[in-house]
Amino acid sequence: MTNKQYKKIRLIITIIIVIIFIQSVFLDNYIIPVITLITASLILLLLRRKVKDIISDERDMALGGKSAILAIQVYSWVAVIAMLILYASRNINPSYEPICITLAYSTCLLMFIYYIIFRFYNKEIFSKNKKKYIISVIILVVLIAFFSLRFFSGEDNWVCKEGQWIKHGNPDFSVPTVPCK
Amino acid sequence: MKNKIKELRNKLNITQEELAKKAKVRRETIIFLEQNKYNPSLQLAHDVAEALGTTIDKLFLF
Repeated sequence: MTNKQYKKIRLIITIIIVIIFIQSVFLDNYIIPVITLITASLILLLLRRKVKDIISDERDMALGGKSAILAIQVYSWVAVIAMLILYASRNINPSYEPICITLAYSTCLLMFIYYIIFRFYNKEIFSKNKKKYIISVIILVVLIAFFSLRFFSGEDNWVCKEGQWIKHGNPDFSVPTVPCK
Repeated sequence: MKNKIKELRNKLNITQEELAKKAKVRRETIIFLEQNKYNPSLQLAHDVAEALGTTIDKLFLF
């Protein structure tokens, strides 16, 4: 398989994924897109192995690195500015607050992942402590996942019961404005 | 950093595609190298020089 053929198939698969995602949102089904995404990733992985041409070389890697740094910087700035504006306007619309939290956490997570990967490539990959580093990162990720699950577990949330929003625990934000069905 | 890639490639009568295959890079990289728009790594400089049957110091003008 040539690089051009692979790129064409990748484009078609991307279009199919987008269509399935849109349909899933309308159907309120979130299992289909997950299955589609996993299947598409596996297909692309298998097809990539069949490509005889060079898909990416050192110039692509260099460009990718520069683009990734710039993308992180742009996203971080946009997210921080949007977060501050939305947080300042939370009295106008309380639904802005969860958006602020999402933006803040996603920015922190992005920077954290960047730091871990950068540190790995910069130093740890050449050292004898490679295994120790990977193990400590896994432990850290598990701890973060545990606290994130606690945060998003719905312990402190508004619960929809018999057409009314009922306080469950001690939620940070006020009662949702969307109708409870 | 200037180079003689195009000159040597024409002498050997090989295409950019063929040189790219020999140096294990994409054709676009060869185009950028010939136009002096990309400074290659030492490994790539060595691979290109080898593919053209020459050495780094003769291929690249420092």
